[in-house]
Amino acid sequence: MIELTEPRAHHDCQVLVIGSGAGGATTAATLAEAGIDVLIVEEGGWVEQDSVVPFSLEQMDLQYRSGGVTVALGRPSIAYTEGCCAGGGTEVNSGLYRRPSKATLERWRKNYAIDDFDDDEFYAACDEVEQALSVQTVPGRQTPASELLRRGAAALGWRHDEIPRWMTYPNGNDAAAGRRQSMTRTYLPRAVRAGARLLCEHRVDRLIIDRQRAFRAELTGPAGEPVTIDFGDVIVCAGAIHTPALLQRSGFRGLVGKALAMHPTVKLAARFNEAINVVNDVPVHQVKEFAPELSFGGSASHPGLVALALTDNWAEMRDAVTAWPNIAVYYAAITSQGRGRVTSLPGLRDPLVTYRLTRRDRDLLGQGLARLALVMLEAGAREVYPSFKGAPTVRSRSDLAQLTAGFSANAASVMTVHLCSTVPMGSDRSKAAADSFGRLFGADNVHVNDASLLPDAPGVNPQASVMAVALRNARHFIEEHS
Amino acid sequence: MNTQRSMPEATVITGAAGWLGTALTHALVQSGGEWERSGTIRTLVRNRIEADRLAGHSPRIEPIVGDLLDPESLGRLFAGLAGNIDVLHTAGVIHPTKVNDFFTINRDGTKAIAAEAAKHGARRFVHVSSNSPFGTNSHPNDRFRNDEPYHPYYGYGDSKMQAELAVFEAVEAGLDAVLVRPPWFYGPHQPPRQTTFFKMVRMGRFPVFAGGHQSRSMVYVDNLVQGLVRAELTHTKPGLGWWIADERPYTISEIVETVGRALADEGFEVSPNRIRIPDMAARAAEFADKMIQRTGRYHQQIHVLGEMNKNIACDISVAQRDLGYQPQVDLYEGMRRSIRWCIDQGLEL
Repeated sequence: MIELTEPRAHHDCQVLVIGSGAGGATTAATLAEAGIDVLIVEEGGWVEQDSVVPFSLEQMDLQYRSGGVTVALGRPSIAYTEGCCAGGGTEVNSGLYRRPSKATLERWRKNYAIDDFDDDEFYAACDEVEQALSVQTVPGRQTPASELLRRGAAALGWRHDEIPRWMTYPNGNDAAAGRRQSMTRTYLPRAVRAGARLLCEHRVDRLIIDRQRAFRAELTGPAGEPVTIDFGDVIVCAGAIHTPALLQRSGFRGLVGKALAMHPTVKLAARFNEAINVVNDVPVHQVKEFAPELSFGGSASHPGLVALALTDNWAEMRDAVTAWPNIAVYYAAITSQGRGRVTSLPGLRDPLVTYRLTRRDRDLLGQGLARLALVMLEAGAREVYPSFKGAPTVRSRSDLAQLTAGFSANAASVMTVHLCSTVPMGSDRSKAAADSFGRLFGADNVHVNDASLLPDAPGVNPQASVMAVALRNARHFIEEHS
Repeated sequence: MNTQRSMPEATVITGAAGWLGTALTHALVQSGGEWERSGTIRTLVRNRIEADRLAGHSPRIEPIVGDLLDPESLGRLFAGLAGNIDVLHTAGVIHPTKVNDFFTINRDGTKAIAAEAAKHGARRFVHVSSNSPFGTNSHPNDRFRNDEPYHPYYGYGDSKMQAELAVFEAVEAGLDAVLVRPPWFYGPHQPPRQTTFFKMVRMGRFPVFAGGHQSRSMVYVDNLVQGLVRAELTHTKPGLGWWIADERPYTISEIVETVGRALADEGFEVSPNRIRIPDMAARAAEFADKMIQRTGRYHQQIHVLGEMNKNIACDISVAQRDLGYQPQVDLYEGMRRSIRWCIDQGLEL
């Protein structure tokens, strides 16, 4: 474990980085290694990876915001999860890594007029991230749930592939012994080695601004005590929900928090004749036949999450829960045309998050869930339990007609883990809330450097995009301040 | 591509006097044509007029007047046939007056003919299905893949799905049956509703919804004949199905523009299309269609209007791979042939 900074009533630093996830850790390490005095504050605690079972309920309690129960209101409401610990989402997510496509980069560049946003440079940053996180495919056998997804897609002739992960495998081909190369194992220790300080369990309440310059952060410490930090520059990396919420609490409104983007997903549980559930890992295959609009993959499937996937039709499906070793949970994710909002409300600790799905999004969720169920039947599933109220148990192709007839997005358990775009970057001020390198419009020394900057949802697991953008913007910051 | 079977000694065609059935039957007897075949060509038709029309086209066509749901008619359809028998089941109803007809003709009729084919040891049974069991695509870029979950579009879609399921049951019981799935088709021998379509385009009155960006697969009837015959004559596992459509889907605006151009090139005066209708009108029509069908009735114009803002597009690559299917005619050429056929029939456009 690295040494954490001791709590005090007041700290000073040259650059304050708020948040220690994929954006914050990368930013802090890059700045510290360039000789800048960096203080990182993190709302959650430092949790050693080996101390908690991955994808377990205990982990949700320890490392997720609000125990993993956070909701974007709308019809339907969309449940989302966020990491809340040193390393942020990288400590708890599936560890899957995919570069954004050239088409995505072009769309971002064009629609938001992002200056100096060069493909080659961007992918060079991806190379660097891949090196630092040991991004690679699984050396041995994939989990049975992953193999089933692959088999189902292959039977239909649908495009699918294995997504590499940021993992190392110290025991050669033993995939089960993989070690996740999250921020607490990579960029955070690097930052600290280069002289950065890390202050955990401190929540930033607001930034104090004087004539477009922020100079102080007001925080609440672990025992509820007030803490202040004075800084020269601040870089907010609190994630797509809490970055805009903090900026709003500090007086920045405008386009901040107005264009939340995500990949809404719907789920199903599939029951096979044999034991296939691996409680502490997730599948690495994805079905990309309908990408970017639709992607299918596997979810965490420990018994609690299997039960959760069956709750929409508990009366009918609860008997299946005892068969959880034979069950795995899968998702269909869409690129959504809808947008949401993050609005901090006076007196409330957490912001109000809303999201609106378009008609096409709703149709696509239904079409996606049905196609995913078909993949499962082709993979040999005995029964498929879609997660929406009134869903039929699917045993054959003709049952799929009942699924599609009965599906309504409003009745579905829609959720997401990929949140972004609440402070989009670019030089088009009619859409962007920060400039082409993440400096907030309306402030001289307030920057953002996390998923909030991505102009829209990339259609793939976003951590590569977040980290590559963070590296690029951190370097630009260093150039400007040298 | 898979290997080919020999020509059958007997070919049985249902719905032979229909739009597709006529095109198919004519193709099988066309002297020197690509699909010409020897042997008996036995066809099921509904009345004497249809029988005379087919027999008048070629003495090789043997029409049997009867009803799909009448066992005695089906007995006569197969009576005395020997050697390999292939059955091409094109009969179906798409715009009936009562919703119930969908099920008696499309589902029960398919069950009956499949059972009869099995009884006579048919070598291969080709069932003509539809896009309708699969509903609509969620966005204009989506394409139905060869395998898709069922999502039937109202009564017709439901009945065509049940017909497919009946065919799969027959396969389980030992029949060598396959399916072809054509989307919206066009071409000679068209029914009067297609003439109305040309008229609307010519007068600039075809309803285009919300910009006309919706994608639609269509199939020229001769392309479909090719797909059907290839499905009959190609060695494959039973129980497979293939999309048979033109090379690529079109947008609704492209369809209207192309038909307008084809009409103009045939010498018609074509008014620019002015009917731009908000999406809401198609949704209202779809709702009305649903309500009407719930009462057991069916209204063709409202049904078609409700479908006009939908994307219905499929991917033919598996048919190309498995059957060597290669559509020969594109939208412009197909529409010109279709218009010329109307002129030859003395139909007013």
